[in-house]
Amino acid sequence: MTIVDELLDTLDKMANDQFESQEFHSFFSVPLNINRARFYVIQNALYTNNRRDCWAYVQGSAPLEVKRVIWEHESDELINDPRAGMDHYSLTVKQGEVIGLNPEDFERAEIPPMVRSCFYAWHHIALRGHWLTAYTASHMLERRNNGKIVKGGGMSFRVGKKFENELGINLKRMISLDVHVVADTEHSENISEMFQRYVKTPEDHQLVLQGARDSMAIDRAYRGALGYYMERIA
Amino acid sequence: MSSSEQDLKQLWDEVVDLANRQYGSAPFKRLLSLKFSRERAQQYSIQMAYYVGNRRDCWAFVQGSSPLDVKQLIWEHERDELIGNESEGKQDHITLAVKEGEVLGLTAKAFDQTGCIEGGVVCFSAWIRLAQRPWLEAIAASAILEVRNSAELIEGGSLSRRIGGIFERDLGIPLRKQMNNAEHVVMDVEHAHLLMKVARKYATTEANRQAIINGAKESLLIDRVYRNHLAEMLEALP
Repeated sequence: MTIVDELLDTLDKMANDQFESQEFHSFFSVPLNINRARFYVIQNALYTNNRRDCWAYVQGSAPLEVKRVIWEHESDELINDPRAGMDHYSLTVKQGEVIGLNPEDFERAEIPPMVRSCFYAWHHIALRGHWLTAYTASHMLERRNNGKIVKGGGMSFRVGKKFENELGINLKRMISLDVHVVADTEHSENISEMFQRYVKTPEDHQLVLQGARDSMAIDRAYRGALGYYMERIA
Repeated sequence: MSSSEQDLKQLWDEVVDLANRQYGSAPFKRLLSLKFSRERAQQYSIQMAYYVGNRRDCWAFVQGSSPLDVKQLIWEHERDELIGNESEGKQDHITLAVKEGEVLGLTAKAFDQTGCIEGGVVCFSAWIRLAQRPWLEAIAASAILEVRNSAELIEGGSLSRRIGGIFERDLGIPLRKQMNNAEHVVMDVEHAHLLMKVARKYATTEANRQAIINGAKESLLIDRVYRNHLAEMLEALP
């Protein structure tokens, strides 16, 4: 087994372990109602924006070849995903229509304090971390959304099923969640290829693991925070 | 003309004036008064590849902190620079720099094996620091370098045009064969307008307009220091 194979196995285990954490359990245990669903969809749009910030920061410090891979990645996210015919922020806003949200609801939305802290923490890694650490931190959020890696389905799939089971809204109508079930599988595979090219030494290995550990910790805090706020919505 | 249009015009005039004044500075005069031997042209070309690489770092950092619609503009901007445009037969700008090097007798290996000058390393760090400032300052800092390279806005020709002219005069290489210089003569005219597009929407307060001017001024200061280091390096060569 190569150093990269071993690393990828570890990353897969970390992605799966997220769903066993108390924060993820707490998030998934909050029953959805329409107001909680609206809160979640709006917060998900803000999360998508934070991803755009972070991937661009990672692009800033990465080697040229990796910059190009990230630029391509951002094509779907920022400009137009051919699977959806629009960028991913517009897709989330469009998805909001299904639960009675309009674009102004997204524009007016505030980021709650615990969520804001998580966004700043992700910014910090993306801006200040070694590029391999920063790259992995952003990549891991797509890896834990990859249904080929996460047993029982990635985050978008599980949230989509929650909308289906608890609100009776078919996953296909939750267009952003539905697109991400596929998009993040492809994205995490394309991005993952770069590990084969750039992880050569035990030090590189550690930089990757550091990014994965930190990002997954923030991700747990973020999901725990969403659960906390959703629980308080009638 | 409404007061907001007047404010915008005043801002743009100041930006263009700042970019034009670069050419009257001692470092620019020093660089542009040099005679370019083949060896000097080769080293200049290699250092420009590092400069282009630093631009890619900085624009990505600016993209990270900008609002979503500005992120989209920068992403498009980076298509030309980072990827090229296959449908228009255009290559990315790093490849262009290396191809231009071939005309000067350089191999791709020479680009890999020659380090960045020390003054360049310092200036590049300064530009990165500026790219991580609040986004309006940051975008102005990156965009002003393209305004300063716009043939449309700079009296007497952009930097790429002037360097291209020197290569032609001293080495007999016509501008059309200098792929990187020739591309930037055209491309930076288009790219220079990015800042105006952004200013039209976001330079709505005095504080925002001042942020743009501050970012532009600080970047041009680094640009002068950088060009001085380049001139110093070239003077040391035969």
